[in-house]
Amino acid sequence: MSERAQSLVLGVLGFALLIAAWEICARNGLVNPVVVSSPSRIAAAFARQWASGDLATDLATSAVEFAVGFGAAMVAGVAIGLAMGLNRFVEYAVDPFVWFVYASPLIAFYPLLIVWLGFGFATVVTVAFLLSFVSIAVNTLAGVHAVDPSHMRAVLAFGGGKRDLVFKVVLPASVPHILAGARIGLGRALHGVVLGEMFGSNDGLGYSITRYAAQLKTADVFVPLITLVVLGVAINQASGLLEARLLRWRA
Amino acid sequence: MTQLVVQGLRLEYPAARGGAPFLALSDVDLAVEKGEFVTIVGPSGCGKSTMLMLIAALLRPTRGAVSLNGQPVAAPGPDRALVFQDFALLPWRNVLKNVELGLEMQGVAAAKRTDIARKNIDMVGLRAFERHYPHQLSGGMRQRVGIARALSVDPEVLLMDEPFGALDAQIRQVMGSELLHIWERDRKTILFVTHDIDEAIYLADRIVVMSASPGRVVQQIKVDLPRPRGLSIRTSAKFNEYRETLWNLLEEQVRQSGSWARGEGGA
Amino acid sequence: MGAFVNPRWLVGSAAVAAFLVVWQIVGANEIIRSDLVSYPTEIAASARELAASGELGANALATLREFAEGFAPAIVVGVLLGLGFALSKIVRNLFEPLFVAMYTAPLIAFVPLLVVWFGVGSTSKSVTTFLAAVVPIAINTTTGVRETQESWIRACRAFGATRAQIVAKAILPGALPVVMAGLRLAVGRAIVGVVAAEMYVSTLGVGRLIQTYSTAGRAAEIFVLVGVVAGFGFVCVGLLRVLENRLAPWRARA
Repeated sequence: MSERAQSLVLGVLGFALLIAAWEICARNGLVNPVVVSSPSRIAAAFARQWASGDLATDLATSAVEFAVGFGAAMVAGVAIGLAMGLNRFVEYAVDPFVWFVYASPLIAFYPLLIVWLGFGFATVVTVAFLLSFVSIAVNTLAGVHAVDPSHMRAVLAFGGGKRDLVFKVVLPASVPHILAGARIGLGRALHGVVLGEMFGSNDGLGYSITRYAAQLKTADVFVPLITLVVLGVAINQASGLLEARLLRWRA
Repeated sequence: MTQLVVQGLRLEYPAARGGAPFLALSDVDLAVEKGEFVTIVGPSGCGKSTMLMLIAALLRPTRGAVSLNGQPVAAPGPDRALVFQDFALLPWRNVLKNVELGLEMQGVAAAKRTDIARKNIDMVGLRAFERHYPHQLSGGMRQRVGIARALSVDPEVLLMDEPFGALDAQIRQVMGSELLHIWERDRKTILFVTHDIDEAIYLADRIVVMSASPGRVVQQIKVDLPRPRGLSIRTSAKFNEYRETLWNLLEEQVRQSGSWARGEGGA
Repeated sequence: MGAFVNPRWLVGSAAVAAFLVVWQIVGANEIIRSDLVSYPTEIAASARELAASGELGANALATLREFAEGFAPAIVVGVLLGLGFALSKIVRNLFEPLFVAMYTAPLIAFVPLLVVWFGVGSTSKSVTTFLAAVVPIAINTTTGVRETQESWIRACRAFGATRAQIVAKAILPGALPVVMAGLRLAVGRAIVGVVAAEMYVSTLGVGRLIQTYSTAGRAAEIFVLVGVVAGFGFVCVGLLRVLENRLAPWRARA
């Protein structure tokens, strides 16, 4: 059996073992099936939420919030990172604020956001944006710093101006760093969506988790939770593939 | 007295997908006397380092056997201490702790370990550096640590795998003559792999010449130069004769293998 | 004198100072509702009050305890799991996908479930800390072990090391710097995790305080508490760096 097939089989086996052990424990009363739930109960809850359309609604809400939040973070992050990278004064002035946003538990400010932006969509998008843009900005900055000066000299030698430098050298050369930042930013944006929904919204997967949990419907909690885990893995895998494709020019 | 015997040693790497199996070492026989300094030369990729790893039992032969004092060798042990070309020092240990490594493996008590290690660090002239970390030392100093580490376990045979290969030419000569000084003291058996012809002659009682892959012993040359040897011996007429003989032998090996045209292969 | 002043430091602190001045003017003069944005002198006063009343101390201590009770076992379990992943292909293939899934999923989403399972008290917070920390520690340990150089292991084998000796003398010390980097990552995730979990529901802790003042619309106290949490993270990472320099002085690579 090839290495790849073997790891696939074992990976699936790992999941299967976990699920089987869990189900057996729940059926034999080793764990309380109401509190802990069980794979079969979760499957039933999944079917129920799917049929009622609740899951699709939650997923759509969260997906839109995620896309808007991350999209804005991408634009702002690259712009801020580029501005910092191209101008030392801007870099030094903005740096402390960037690190504050990076290091503090931003979710603590959610009540202020709710007052400003209202309960729901705008608040959730803002939390996702705030969590995500810093990693993109910081990585873009690192990318600009890592640009090979000889490439810049080449453009200048052929009569290029500042504009050419930015669009023909700095931006393309920073792409690997920007993508690395985007990959981290994607995870943080998803985290932000869930946080925002848990504390500042009545919609989406994050809100559903808290609602079902408050009702002690454990099996139902797992449905949006598992959806989020799968979403997280899918986003990560997809961005990895995209990164590999975009960076084919690198040996 | 014959101390180390290598008999019909053969190492074959299994075929990679779609390729032929690779014969690294083909039925090598060798007998080394106690206290003898033997150098092994051969073209790149002739399996001379591989042979050392087999004697150390870091590799398992496909066929054949190694015995030390009549006992078959099966596992790595302190009776055969290795000195590596890349030094293989542990970067998080200072000089003293690196030299103690082999003694730790043997379960020697801490105080005694330090004692033995210090003595050997002294011998290689690193007394002032025992608290230094490898990254703070030059290449030559690092290899002195490697030698002190090997001597600390008081081996029957010292196996040296191109120990000075990573050093520049001048340091290399100095290290060679210092190694001879150390060796003159207790005359431990040494097997020394090198691709430097001068080094091979300067150090050896006997030179083993190996062929290009698959590695075989093609010739053994006794070196009849007086000991102790100073650096000036390298310019003597006798030394030159050995140099020419060896050069011709090696050139022939390289030509036959075709690696002349390919350029240097990997070791 | 005429000492050279680091322009980064100079411009950075000037920008922060300017920001504070504008903030003070805007807030103190009610140009923007001060209960929403507060202002520096009010925040300083709130900090003194919170500290003096003992409210901050008691809650910070509770959070610290939850953090410690989750983080300490996370180090042990994370390193052992990481070793298992790196040294056994079967262990890796069986469990690594689960771990990667845990790593990419938003941890906070698990908190409501953990509260159902472990109650509203400190246990659910410790478990959150544990889960937040154990994954980066395990993943970094695996990476660290995989990056172990062959020559270190060869040196040990040549002198007759057993498998356990190779792990203890070559693999673990060699992986240490990468494991330490994992600990730094873990600290960040765990702090955010424990505070958010306390905000979600709890009886005690800095997150609980944040939640209380949030619903009361007290921006000044929130800023103080956010500062405390950020400061704690800063101190933890600083301590880890000191520890790393102590444990791995050889890292000062040539």
